[in-house]
Amino acid sequence: MLGYLGPNGSGKSTTVKMLTGLLEPSSGQVLYDGQDIHTDLAAYRKRLGYVPEEAHLYPYLTGQEYLDMVATLRAMPPARKKKTVAGLLRLFSLWPHRHVNMGSYSKGMRQRILLIAALMDNPDILIFDEPLSGLDVTSTLIIKNLIQALSERGKAIFYCSHILEVVEKVCSHLIILRKGQVIAHGATTDVREQIGKSSLEGVFLQLVAEGDVAQVANEIAAVVVSS
Amino acid sequence: MRIKARFIRSLRRRWASFFRTPFACLLRLFVGRMLHGSGDSGPGDLDVGVGVMLILLAMPGLLVSLLTFEKYGHLILFLRGGRPFNPFTATVPDEYFFIVLSLAVSGAAALWRWDSLFLDRRDFTNLVPLPVPLRTVFLANLCSILFLTALFTFVANAASVVLFPIAVVGSQGSLSVFLRFAVGHFMGVLAASLFSCFAVFALTGLLMALVPAAAFRRISHLVRFLLAVGLFALLVSSFAVPQLLSELPIPVAHQFALLPPFSFLGLTRTIWGSAGDPFIPEMRRAAITALALALFIAILAYAASFRRSFLRIPEMPDSGPLPRSPVSLSLLSPILNLVLRIQPQRACYQFAARTLLRSESHLQILLGFLALGLVLAVNALTSAPDLHSLITGKLPSVDVLSVPFILSFCLVAGVRFAFEVPSQLPANWVFRLWLDRDRHDARNTAVLILLAFSLSWLLPLCFFVTLAFWGSPIAILHTFVVAVSTIALVELSLLRFRKQPFACSYPPFKSHSGLLVLGYLFGFILFAGTLVELEHWSLQDPWRVLCFVPIWAAAMAGVHFYRKQMLDMDKQLLFDELPASGFW
Repeated sequence: MLGYLGPNGSGKSTTVKMLTGLLEPSSGQVLYDGQDIHTDLAAYRKRLGYVPEEAHLYPYLTGQEYLDMVATLRAMPPARKKKTVAGLLRLFSLWPHRHVNMGSYSKGMRQRILLIAALMDNPDILIFDEPLSGLDVTSTLIIKNLIQALSERGKAIFYCSHILEVVEKVCSHLIILRKGQVIAHGATTDVREQIGKSSLEGVFLQLVAEGDVAQVANEIAAVVVSS
Repeated sequence: MRIKARFIRSLRRRWASFFRTPFACLLRLFVGRMLHGSGDSGPGDLDVGVGVMLILLAMPGLLVSLLTFEKYGHLILFLRGGRPFNPFTATVPDEYFFIVLSLAVSGAAALWRWDSLFLDRRDFTNLVPLPVPLRTVFLANLCSILFLTALFTFVANAASVVLFPIAVVGSQGSLSVFLRFAVGHFMGVLAASLFSCFAVFALTGLLMALVPAAAFRRISHLVRFLLAVGLFALLVSSFAVPQLLSELPIPVAHQFALLPPFSFLGLTRTIWGSAGDPFIPEMRRAAITALALALFIAILAYAASFRRSFLRIPEMPDSGPLPRSPVSLSLLSPILNLVLRIQPQRACYQFAARTLLRSESHLQILLGFLALGLVLAVNALTSAPDLHSLITGKLPSVDVLSVPFILSFCLVAGVRFAFEVPSQLPANWVFRLWLDRDRHDARNTAVLILLAFSLSWLLPLCFFVTLAFWGSPIAILHTFVVAVSTIALVELSLLRFRKQPFACSYPPFKSHSGLLVLGYLFGFILFAGTLVELEHWSLQDPWRVLCFVPIWAAAMAGVHFYRKQMLDMDKQLLFDELPASGFW
């Protein structure tokens, strides 16, 4: 389970796009089972579950319709599709809202729909780009535990996030990125030890932060109070 | 019997299995997206609903077809003492009008759905990571475009295909004549509709394929505006064009007749059996060539735009609202500060003005009404028998006087209509939080916006043009009448208005579309017809202009007393709730 960290503009989303095959690398290759993913992209995507950063959903479709569509496009057998979609909708507390247009869903509900769409076909690789965005405390705890449970069941998980505490808790390995360059990588505990910090927040600040965050915060407070 | 049942069963099985394929699934998705629009703002966006959209598409054909009963009805002709007529020659001008109507309605529908025809970022994010071959996505969207074309064509022409032949030859008692007439009419309007839709698709695709994405968004509005002007102009001129062509030298008229929409008449007349005219086959060939060319370019442009725009979406930055206009609103700040003395009013004005200029759907509405206004104004000017007489008389003619009234009405109606279409409803909390429902009056902001978008440029233009041709007294009086009439119109249009523009969900067409259209029509006739004739009469003696003072005073007093007798509860600022959604 790999955590992927970096400030805005460091290249996290570009990496995710390349890993999902949305973007072809200008140099280098993305290999899966020793094979370039672009040699058989459809087969690779069949084994991939992806939760994008932005929940761009079709507002005029209901949650059930959207999931049915994704299941059909993933060529899931109808019986399995019906059972899995219904089961996941219930577990994600969306069952009462399954016939409501997604245009009126809250951010958290949309995020849960994306999570169901990513998980429903039992993918081998899961790419999460800020999966906890918009979720409440209970949902966040469920997803964190779910990610660990999936990892224990042999799924490869690529976890891209700004929330250091979550990455620290759920990821066994991590990569820290800055301006398109990998500046640290390895097992989470090893990286912490290398940098000599007790928390990931300390590591991140040491490697990535360009200024003194406390000083910037104080300056902002001064502007607010003086205005 | 058993074979038939087995055949039906097998057909059902095949249909059910096709229904479950990724292609059919994508087809349903894309057709839904085109019918519902690509807006992401959810309920209350410009989406008027499929039913209303189809009714609006079918209405013009139905109304015009019903009017032909009055013209060609056997009983009415008998009562008028009319002689029997040859339907295949007597109805050619009407057939041309139907062809133009079909072309305009289908073209307008395609323009309306311009943004949702081609695949966008949302489609990319949702579909490309899935194990679906890109060629399936490509073909499904192409088929959905073709389906939409067929649907628009069918709906726009269904009424006229049945009713027009019944009105003209229904009473002749000959099935063969009826069929010949109906098929000829059907072919003409069908070709015109298809051509119109394909031409719009071709243009969209070409622009997407050739122009950089950022430039496309800027150009897109201008192109749509020009196309809308062109379609309105075709429609408005459809009765005058046949007459105009007959007055032109034959070689020149022939050249015009080979262009759409005239050439589609060649298809109709070939089937009607008027092919004795040697020029008809040439018109037919021109029509078929135009249609084939539009289809070919549309498919080619679609393929090119798919490759250039859709596949490169991840390389392009996410597109937000329209880029800032180079004309800054801050130039008007000193005037605004003078008129809008309360701070929240200024903020609401700035928000509303910027929404109108930068939000795609609102700008689309405004440009649509402006295009209609421009075409009607030009039509009013060109309807005079002698164009020179328009500017040489002692007084401006009724046609000339009507121009600022037409433009003013269309702009006020357009902006007023746009007020009802919310812009990002979830963002209206900012107004709910800081505006006092009892104290803040959104009407003042709305009045100012309406006047800023109409009178601010119309009055100087009206004054200087009138001054140049008819001197200062007429210029002053005409400008005065236009100003007071527009102010009264604005006040009347906001009689029960109590919403912050664009921050309230109230899709107007969904609840009373027919009534609204009739209201606009009636208002237009009164404002740009009756009022203008009254002004023309009054300008003959400057003192008569004073008659506008009591009319204006009565209108304003009516508005004042109406609002005064309203309950305080009805004056409160209104904010509609978002549709209920669950929380986890």
